[in-house]
Amino acid sequence: MSQEQPKKVRSEFIYFAWRNVKLRIGVSILLAFVLFSIIGPFLAKHDPLEYVGPMGAPPSREYWFGTTTFGQDVFSQFAHGTRSTLLVGLLGGSIGTLVGILVGLIAGYRGGLVDEFLNMITNIILIIPTLAVLIIIAAYLSVRGIFMQSVFIGLTAWPWAARAIRAQTFSLRVREFVDLARMTGRSSLRIVFTEIAPNMMSYLLLVFILQFGGAVLNAATLDFIGLGPTKGTSLGLIMNNAVLWAALQLGQWWWLLPPGAAIAAIVGALYITNVGLDEIFNPKLREM
Amino acid sequence: MSRKLMFVILSALLVGSLLLAACQPQTVTVTVVQTVPVKETVPVVITPTPAPSPVVYPRNETIYTSGKQWGPPTSWNPLQTGAYAMGVIGLCYETLFIFDPLKNEYIPWLAESGQFVSDKVYEVKLRQGIQWQDGQPLTAADVVYTFELGKLGGVYYQPLWNWMEKVEAVDDLTVRFTFKEVRYQSWGNLLYSIAIVPKHAWEGRSEEDIVNGPNLPPMGTGAYMYETHSEDRMVWKRNDNWWATKLLGLSVAPKYIVDIVNPSNNVALGLFLKGEMDLSNNFLPGIATLVKGGYGVKTWYDDAPFMLAANTAFLFMNTTKKPMDDPAFRKAMAYAVNVDEIVTKVYGNIVQKADSSGLLPTWSQYVDKAVVDELGFSYDPNEAKRILDGAGYKDVDGDGWREAPDGSKIELKIMVPFGWTDWMESIRVVAAGAQAVGINLQPDFPDFGGYWDQLTGGTFDMAINNFGSNMSDTPYTFYGWLFRNPIEASMPNGNFGRYDNPEVFALVDELDRTPKDQMASVISKIQRIQLTDMPAVPLWYNGLWAQWNETYWTNWPSAAEGAPKYLPCTWNGYWNMTAILMLAELKPAQ
Amino acid sequence: MGRYLRRKLLIYILTFFVAVTIDWMIPRFMPGDPVSLMIARIGTRPEAAEVLRGYFIKAFGLDVPLWQQYLNFWKALFQGDLGVSIWLYPQPVIRIIQRAIPYDLFLLLPAIFLSWFAGNQVGALAARARWLDNTILPLGYLLTATPYMWLAIVLAWSLGNVAGIFPIAGAYSFAIRPHLSLQFILNLLHHWFLPFMSLFLVMFGGWAIGMRNMIIYELESDYSRYLEALGIPQSLIRKYAFRNAMLPQITGLALQLGGIVAGAVATEVVFAYPGIGYIILNAVQNQDYFLLQGCFLFIIIGVLLANFLIDLVYIIVDPRTRLGMTGE
Repeated sequence: MSQEQPKKVRSEFIYFAWRNVKLRIGVSILLAFVLFSIIGPFLAKHDPLEYVGPMGAPPSREYWFGTTTFGQDVFSQFAHGTRSTLLVGLLGGSIGTLVGILVGLIAGYRGGLVDEFLNMITNIILIIPTLAVLIIIAAYLSVRGIFMQSVFIGLTAWPWAARAIRAQTFSLRVREFVDLARMTGRSSLRIVFTEIAPNMMSYLLLVFILQFGGAVLNAATLDFIGLGPTKGTSLGLIMNNAVLWAALQLGQWWWLLPPGAAIAAIVGALYITNVGLDEIFNPKLREM
Repeated sequence: MSRKLMFVILSALLVGSLLLAACQPQTVTVTVVQTVPVKETVPVVITPTPAPSPVVYPRNETIYTSGKQWGPPTSWNPLQTGAYAMGVIGLCYETLFIFDPLKNEYIPWLAESGQFVSDKVYEVKLRQGIQWQDGQPLTAADVVYTFELGKLGGVYYQPLWNWMEKVEAVDDLTVRFTFKEVRYQSWGNLLYSIAIVPKHAWEGRSEEDIVNGPNLPPMGTGAYMYETHSEDRMVWKRNDNWWATKLLGLSVAPKYIVDIVNPSNNVALGLFLKGEMDLSNNFLPGIATLVKGGYGVKTWYDDAPFMLAANTAFLFMNTTKKPMDDPAFRKAMAYAVNVDEIVTKVYGNIVQKADSSGLLPTWSQYVDKAVVDELGFSYDPNEAKRILDGAGYKDVDGDGWREAPDGSKIELKIMVPFGWTDWMESIRVVAAGAQAVGINLQPDFPDFGGYWDQLTGGTFDMAINNFGSNMSDTPYTFYGWLFRNPIEASMPNGNFGRYDNPEVFALVDELDRTPKDQMASVISKIQRIQLTDMPAVPLWYNGLWAQWNETYWTNWPSAAEGAPKYLPCTWNGYWNMTAILMLAELKPAQ
Repeated sequence: MGRYLRRKLLIYILTFFVAVTIDWMIPRFMPGDPVSLMIARIGTRPEAAEVLRGYFIKAFGLDVPLWQQYLNFWKALFQGDLGVSIWLYPQPVIRIIQRAIPYDLFLLLPAIFLSWFAGNQVGALAARARWLDNTILPLGYLLTATPYMWLAIVLAWSLGNVAGIFPIAGAYSFAIRPHLSLQFILNLLHHWFLPFMSLFLVMFGGWAIGMRNMIIYELESDYSRYLEALGIPQSLIRKYAFRNAMLPQITGLALQLGGIVAGAVATEVVFAYPGIGYIILNAVQNQDYFLLQGCFLFIIIGVLLANFLIDLVYIIVDPRTRLGMTGE
């Protein structure tokens, strides 16, 4: 019986997941990008920053995405850029989600003064615009890397996640199975992580997806105004360079359009996946 | 319905508020910063009298320029050389002479003539009939007043008074300068760069106001008067009573000059291609493509290098650090850099490779061919390797990089400011060249602050810089920057590599005291030391970025036959290097 | 209602306090020496540099103990003293920001309100018409996922450069001097349109999707089912659903303000539109920390004010808050 239950739930999940068009579209786009970020850099024949080809050449068999004004291979930049952009999303999104989970769960489960305090902090940081803080921090760092960028993005993005998770925890902590666990005398921290958190897994997944998307967009904006990593490349940096060198005015659309379109596609796919998952987790929504 | 009404009201309010904001009189409030105590700040509010002039400038009477202003105009004070708005010197305030770098001659301007009447006395005769824009005549008293301002702390020509004894008005139109010691080169430079200011309008001002005040509205003798300014523009209006029309037969065609504060490259290029900008003095990427591609874009030359050369970009090496303290190592670097690749790939052929001496083409007469032939360098990785081998730089531990003769590892960085994209690309080429001969050199992009700190503080390894190598009337300005001395804790004005050689310092000082026609021998000695010791490597000439279109204005200066030969440039210090004459040549298109 | 408002106000006051503290802390606890960076930026002669260093150390208040620096920072703040700009030395920061704010309001308020309004309407429509749902939904997702600056660049290039219909830079033409006339107003609007559009489109996508999803939640909720069972007409149920869905959309507006700030920065940068976002870019490029910190403070103040206004609206719209039934 206890073996049977989760299996059934899982197969039901897979069944609805497969039937959900949004999820199918979203996940396949995402998978494609993830796959590309893994193998893309190996497919790229050139160093992303080296001058390898003709200057400002349109896409061709040798240079699939054309070349930059200096003759750098855009495809290679794009492949490496996608990798680091996804990395920023993954890292920043994870940090944001983790902090959010920690604060939200503790606030929601403990309640009382702890909750008052954490909730207050959450609400305060929620109001302060993330990007403004990020700009100030980044402006004072004279050497910036992708890792640093992700950490700061993650550390400023958690409040809404914490708030949402807190609300969920509130509704869960009065359920019977939590009461049961409490009666067995387990520590509250254990209850939070063994009883409450697993029951919110679906919800946490949704939170992570949105954090991921937010981190990607924030990083792109920072890169674009010239506060991106001073080393390496990313989709935002490619855009920044393309704009600095007036790619569109010079007719080099292949330099500017792919990175922007890729960001839109990645973030859009994340959102669609999010809605798809939401529909699966909330059976009421499935009909539409 | 009510919602719609609300939106209408809302938008009306918004437009209204914006109008109010935009139409405020141009009030400039400047908090003058005093040294001590800080709390006493003096607000000076100056509101120019609004002139009754049209509010929309007719396109065919207006020239749109861009390239000088990196931020909103904040100063109209000709004493603030770095900060004054586009055209303050040249369009509004004028100089005694102007200098023509292409012909290498001084053109009398406010002065009718000027010469040494004895060993240490220089006499200037002013033109008769020059008027300030308020109608008062320009007299010798104004000139005396202007030069004596140099006695105030904070005025850039203060050092002049170390070697000048006095300046006096002999009569209304004659000024006599008496020197303790004549510094011919500095003096020649000041004659065409100090702008004469009106004594009658400036006399009552406080010292603080004279040196640091915004001086709005400016009032000079020049061809243009202050019209208006805002965050993104500076507008000048023609002075129809300009003295040069009567005295020299010159008249400037554009009634208005609207200088646009530099937007980003892509916006600048966009405006330019839309025909909303006539003359752009920005570095615009891909300009070679546009000139060739039938966009109606014109440059000085219609083929590579497209632009005149304006200054020299140097590779500075920190001579206080190992291994850059070794002339052999520095020399090897000179051979290792593939400048042609920078010229063609990074700049798309709009710059030229620099001469081994680093002197601009306008100074080519000062290059000692014999010295350059003997000691000059060019890209040759094998020669670089040979020099390094010979000097004992060998890869001992087999990691692919050369070690210093004492066996210590060499790990070096070359830096330029982050965001200076053309330079960023350039040092990738430099680093690649060094790596190819076995030197472990990596590009580094700190932000400007970090760059400047390391450069002036002498903590960097290698860096690119060109700040003080600009075109002028004398190569003394160039050598004074390259061999700036004495070596101090902070070196913001040149010699970033802290190359310490009293011999060359003495030669540069001697150069300043040498008349123009006798400079060759001194310069030859300097060049020999420079090319032997190679304290910094000249790489390429940055261009005098200038591109224009002929939709609204024609007869631009260019290399083409029959075209005027003046500098098409709105940068500080170029109006008085013949750019003002360009305006007199322009003609409205049909 | 009183309790609700008091609580909110407390949070806002604390937020302001925290923001000012962050603003004060960052330059003091980050690596590097901002004072020498600023002097480097001005790049004057050594003698002048020493004078400037003295001034900046005083201005930053670096010559007194930390706790006193902090108090002084607050004192200066209440006197409207945000320091002197480096980029536009010697203009006071507060004056530069004052000049930019009208442009921000002019750009942001219409973009926020119109996109919210239109997004809600279209989203609600999409929730009941399948064909609309199938077109609006993907479009909405694409728009809301598009980086602001990318959309802005593409708009500027296509409509500004290629089609040549709209200007691509500035708040009004370079050929015009500000004055009160229809011509000038039209010119302002002409320059305003593209930046407005790029903000509007991205935000519109988000609101439309949000509303559409909310309405579907509401229509599937128990009360809707109950009303349906009672035989109440569909249109009435939808009306109720719409009204209920509006509440989260209003809260959402408050939550989105941070994102809107990001959008404004990116858009103003692309169009060289002279608002705070454009100033931020210049402050970043010129290492003008005073100006950057000033902009940060004004953004916070703006966001706090907006939050407060939204709260007031929420009280009017949601009767529960008036009765003190909800804490959030």
